[in-house]
Amino acid sequence: MTVSSIARAALLASAVAFPLHAQEPVTLVIANSQWLDALRGDSLWSVLKEYETEAPNVRLEALGVPSKDYGDRMMTEFGAGMGPDIAILQEGVFFALADAGLLVDVGEAVEGVELNATKDNGILDGVTLGVPWQRAVYALIYNADLVERAGVTPPTTVSELIASAQGVQAETGAIGFTSRHQISDFSGFYMDFQNWAYGYGVDWVDGDGNLTINTPEAAEAIAAFKQVYDARIIPIGDDMPTQRTRFKETQVGFSIDNSGGTLNIASGGAMDSGLIESMPLPFPHPGAHQQIYVAVNANSKHPDEAMAFLKWLVTPEAQAALRKASGPDALATDVPLDEAFVADNPWAPVFAELATDSRSVLIPGYEVETTQIMRPVMEAVEEVLVTGIAPEDALAKAQGRIDQMF
Amino acid sequence: MAYSSQSAQPVAVRPTTGGRPAATARLRRLLPYAFMALPVIYLAVFMFWPLGRQIWLSFTRTRLANPNRSEFIGLRNYERLFDSPDFYSALYVTLVYSALAVVIGVAIGTVAALALNRPFPGRTLVRAILLFGWAVPNVAAALVWLWIFNERSGVLNSIVTSLGLERISWLTSTDMALSSVLLVTVWQVAPFVMLVMLAALQSVPQEVKEAARVDGADALNIFRAVTLPHVMPTLQLVSLLVAVWSIRRFDIIYLLTGGGPIGSTSTLIVKLRQVAFENHDLGLASAYGVIGLILALLVAAIHAAFNRRRQKGQS
Repeated sequence: MTVSSIARAALLASAVAFPLHAQEPVTLVIANSQWLDALRGDSLWSVLKEYETEAPNVRLEALGVPSKDYGDRMMTEFGAGMGPDIAILQEGVFFALADAGLLVDVGEAVEGVELNATKDNGILDGVTLGVPWQRAVYALIYNADLVERAGVTPPTTVSELIASAQGVQAETGAIGFTSRHQISDFSGFYMDFQNWAYGYGVDWVDGDGNLTINTPEAAEAIAAFKQVYDARIIPIGDDMPTQRTRFKETQVGFSIDNSGGTLNIASGGAMDSGLIESMPLPFPHPGAHQQIYVAVNANSKHPDEAMAFLKWLVTPEAQAALRKASGPDALATDVPLDEAFVADNPWAPVFAELATDSRSVLIPGYEVETTQIMRPVMEAVEEVLVTGIAPEDALAKAQGRIDQMF
Repeated sequence: MAYSSQSAQPVAVRPTTGGRPAATARLRRLLPYAFMALPVIYLAVFMFWPLGRQIWLSFTRTRLANPNRSEFIGLRNYERLFDSPDFYSALYVTLVYSALAVVIGVAIGTVAALALNRPFPGRTLVRAILLFGWAVPNVAAALVWLWIFNERSGVLNSIVTSLGLERISWLTSTDMALSSVLLVTVWQVAPFVMLVMLAALQSVPQEVKEAARVDGADALNIFRAVTLPHVMPTLQLVSLLVAVWSIRRFDIIYLLTGGGPIGSTSTLIVKLRQVAFENHDLGLASAYGVIGLILALLVAAIHAAFNRRRQKGQS
């Protein structure tokens, strides 16, 4: 055997072992509205960038889109046969894209991985279309310093919430309570309101799959929200980013917010995160959560590389790194909260506990149509708030409109 | 005479080949089409094709995430539209909003132009300040006004409460929301009207005004008999523009109120966005768009009719 034939054989062997395409540089575009979040966005992205050391031929590129436009943009881009390779999607958009057949089966990426219950809605008709990214559950948070200065107690019911928030306002001059309350922020408003609805035992759908909008539970939930609205403890007209900034600047007593929002409040503001406390929602039943999935675009030119990325994402190392950047959000696998993080953020463990029995903001069986159904419902809520019409009458109108749709 | 002596000279004519004049003539005939080609292609690609596509979509069942998988359903979307109370509410809001935007915006803009047409110290500065509203991008303007309207910490309510009055829910009450949106609209539109009307006013012949003054006409009569007829075509045109812009205005309304409260500011275009992106129903959303288009065309037709009548009157 000559030297040249040995060299040729070695070259051939290396080509078989390392196929050319595996070495070609590939750019995976990953879209997420969270990339634009102050501090949290950078932390999350730096976790993902670690993948580049695992797969040197892959370069990750972040596509940050403001959360208000994110769903519309993803729907439009995916529908037009374009879009990022990988998208981190709120459950509602995830279901709509899955329904349109625009997501890739990613079951192979999670084979043999013990995922927790957050995986459930990512599996449609037995096909895994989404890998859980985060589950942001809601809780009641408060500024412990303001509460102490006002001499009020953390509330466990809505009437206690009103009394405590009024106490904070009267004694400290701060805002009593913040909550989304305007239809101009429809998407966030309906998701936040699901806490009130679920908290009062609303199901929106009966055992036969019929939409049940006008129920005593729903009327009770709206009446409770109206009580809070009328108590002049909410800064009417403030959008959610403004309300969160006010909380960050120690100007708010109480708020109902999700774990992601609370992490935002606790990061990089005037407020010491150790002063934020949390507790279960002041309702008889558990509240809601926003589930976020990672999905691969069916239009992606690099589905194999995207799949390999997802495989890495659910490894214990990646999940542990993600835990540090995700605050108390539930992840795809059960990763306990970091002790140092909990010491700095005493509000975090309550969120982790609440994630075990919270419910999706989407209506079971009507996941794709939830926003369409919730529009008349939220307009009924708004009508009650603004005009004082009885919740039952407003809900009856909403039920009529929804019955016409389906 | 130089002219006749020159024309008497024999003129040397270059012999031509038979095809060249014909080619030049053909080129001359084609030249206008060549000049028009670019704008025609632009309009075809960016206007007529999307417009045609929208009209086609309004006859189909099309989901947002699957725009290429449409099912033709005839007039079903229009049936749904005309059966829906939401449509009539959106149409009513659109008509009221557009009419008021035209009447108030054009009136204020015209009065401002009349005032600024007279010389006074600092006129250039005042013009620049008044144009500010037009120069600010719509999104930025809406965000600034959101703060001004803020119920708790907005400037307007600071003034209101300093007068000993109750805070006003500028954007969150059904009584005030449309008026507040109109206020922002007029703030943006009136400077444009002012600018255009100012240009028209400056072209009114001074000698005609002087003649009227010499004939004993007072300021009001001069305005009625000289100025107004002269600026009327501009006034009509600017009204048409404001009306069409108001029918299709989205950003200011969406950012200020999102169509609420209780649909009190939900125009056809805001509704279109809701149906397309919340309900994912491109077919029905396109039907909303077609109705908006018809409205705009109606306004343009009314403008054309007025124009024709005026021209007839003049002839």
